Amino acid sequence: MNGVEIRGLCKSYGKIKAVDGLDLTVGSGQVFGLLGPNGSGKTTTIKLLLGLIKPDSGDALVLGRPISKGIEFEKIGYMPQETALYEELTVHENLKLFGGIFGMKKRAFLGREEEVLRIVDLKGRRDSLLSELSGGQRHRISLAVALLHSPEIIFLDEPTVGVDPPLRVSFWKTFHDLKRKGVTIIMTTHYLDEARKCDNIGLMRSGKLISKGSPGRIMKDTGTDNLEDAFLKLASAGSPEVLT
Amino acid sequence: MKGLRFLMVTKKIFWNFRHDKRSLALMLLAPILSMMVFGIAFSGDMEDVKVVIVNLDQGHQAPVFNQSVKISQSVISNMDRDVLDISYSSSIEDGLKGVEDGTYYSLIIFPENFTMNIMAYKSAMASENVTAIMGINEHSTVSIRSDQAEVSVVSEVNRLVMQAIAETMEQGGFDVPIDVDVSDPVYGDGATFIDMFIPGIMGFTIFLLTTTLSLITFVGERTQGTLYRLMATPITEGEIILGYALAFSILGMAQVALLIAIAVLVFDVMVVGNLLLTFLIGSMLGMVSVSLGILLSSLARRESQAIQFYPLIVMPTFLLAGIFWPLESIPAYLRPLSYGIPVTYAIKGLRSVMVRGWGVAEIWPQLLALTLFATAFLLGAVLTLKMERRRA
Ligand SMILES: Nc1ncnc2c1ncn2[C@@H]1O[C@H](COP(=O)(O)OP(=O)(O)OP(=O)(O)O)[C@@H](O)[C@H]1O
Ligand SMILES: [Mg+2]
Repeated sequence: MNGVEIRGLCKSYGKIKAVDGLDLTVGSGQVFGLLGPNGSGKTTTIKLLLGLIKPDSGDALVLGRPISKGIEFEKIGYMPQETALYEELTVHENLKLFGGIFGMKKRAFLGREEEVLRIVDLKGRRDSLLSELSGGQRHRISLAVALLHSPEIIFLDEPTVGVDPPLRVSFWKTFHDLKRKGVTIIMTTHYLDEARKCDNIGLMRSGKLISKGSPGRIMKDTGTDNLEDAFLKLASAGSPEVLT
Repeated sequence: MKGLRFLMVTKKIFWNFRHDKRSLALMLLAPILSMMVFGIAFSGDMEDVKVVIVNLDQGHQAPVFNQSVKISQSVISNMDRDVLDISYSSSIEDGLKGVEDGTYYSLIIFPENFTMNIMAYKSAMASENVTAIMGINEHSTVSIRSDQAEVSVVSEVNRLVMQAIAETMEQGGFDVPIDVDVSDPVYGDGATFIDMFIPGIMGFTIFLLTTTLSLITFVGERTQGTLYRLMATPITEGEIILGYALAFSILGMAQVALLIAIAVLVFDVMVVGNLLLTFLIGSMLGMVSVSLGILLSSLARRESQAIQFYPLIVMPTFLLAGIFWPLESIPAYLRPLSYGIPVTYAIKGLRSVMVRGWGVAEIWPQLLALTLFATAFLLGAVLTLKMERRRA
């Protein structure tokens, strides 16, 4: 079973085609990186996969289940691009709220809470109000919430924005640990050094996927020796050619 | 456990209050404050109402004691000096001038033949002479000419003058042709203005504050993106709304309890009926208001836009829900609007329970109306959330 299978997904906002006939398959247990310039449709793609917005046409399977048939949120973790947490609540209360909503029992919750706070290195701030944390720290709590209920597939919208370099390294260690446990991770990023750490990446432009494959494969196809040159080359190519 | 997910949302709202004392204060202290303000302003008895009397009464030469009798004097001495501040004037023109320039609220005129007519009537009645009785075509008339701008003051003056006349007639053993007795009311014995408007203030403040707070909170859910995050969890739109409704209906009950306590302890208001019923009404009003707040929040993208709805919900409710005056005093063409405002039913229900001591058997129409409003608004709120997912 694949983590995600997208078939001809389309979503327009008025004249803007935010996602324009997207086809994409992400195998389970993969770390997949979605890249592309601002406004290329990465966030919209994730929101479509989570059923937060309805597609104009096309469908997708998440963990083998069509999103049009309803989504098994119990198995899904989501870290939105904006922090999207309750600023007036403490770290602990934010976690408790989502733990409760995911039906976690008190014991299991307390164990997981400690675990995810360790991962984001904010154990000492459990009782701080979200509004008292720095921007990067809030972002880290947001990741902690996404990981809390041990989901099978995790959607991370720019998880490492504003996170300091040492912690970013430790995040990637966490991602690879999860991958080893069979968790599928789909993330968006603007950092090419991170893209290189993904099993597969997809490059979006104007709602279309213009390139897809392992970082090595993309460099080879474009005849470049780093992703930066590869993307520049792909981006400057006249009409977006869809590689499969 | 799974079915109780909505409780997490309810808890979240209360955790929020733990940190945001300002909102909690708004919910609990503001109603008290507004009740104090209105209560103190309205509970004071009327006093120092300036009136001027022009007494032209010539009196009557009593045949037996050869004494002049002026019934008007007795009437004046029977007027309630605690309320009325009485001056005298010798001419109607001067008195009128005083009312026109605002020195007095009312001019009270006793005509020349005031005593004469009463005596004539009395003797005619005593003689049982039908033609004599029929022959009396002039009645004693006290004229009151008032500054009608202050309606409540004027009606108080009118009432006191009538009361003084009635007392005088009784003392003098005159047959007062019409006898109106209002001393034994069906409901609300001993009720004063404050008893009647406190349920109004309760209903209005619960509605206003709950709608405000839930509107602001829910706009926050949207702008902070937490609503989307919630929607990417197993919780359903219905459960989110249910969680909110429960939290604010509990708050509604707390507000009712608090307001009734203040009303009883500070303003000595009487509560005749079942307190549990008032809590029920408070919690239902809380539910109606929270779902209205959520509905409105879907029209507002930012807090500042939410504020713009304010006059739209506050003014009609304030004017048409029967807070200070009964629905009957609202023009007939506006009354259908009153019936479209949920607070109207809450206030009517609270008033019936608190002042009349009515139970479910009598106030079921109000309970039914509130239930229908709550159901419709809650479903509406759920529906807008579901539609938004489709539209976004
Ligand atoms: N709610 C919305 N209403 C109207 N247009 C929208 C909405 N959301 C997204 N868009 C448009 O859809 C396009 C894709 O947006 P999207 O957020 O998916 O981009 P992105 O790839 O995530 O960009 P970024 O790297 O900046 O996060 C943009 O042109 C954006 O303006
Ligand atoms: Mg984005």
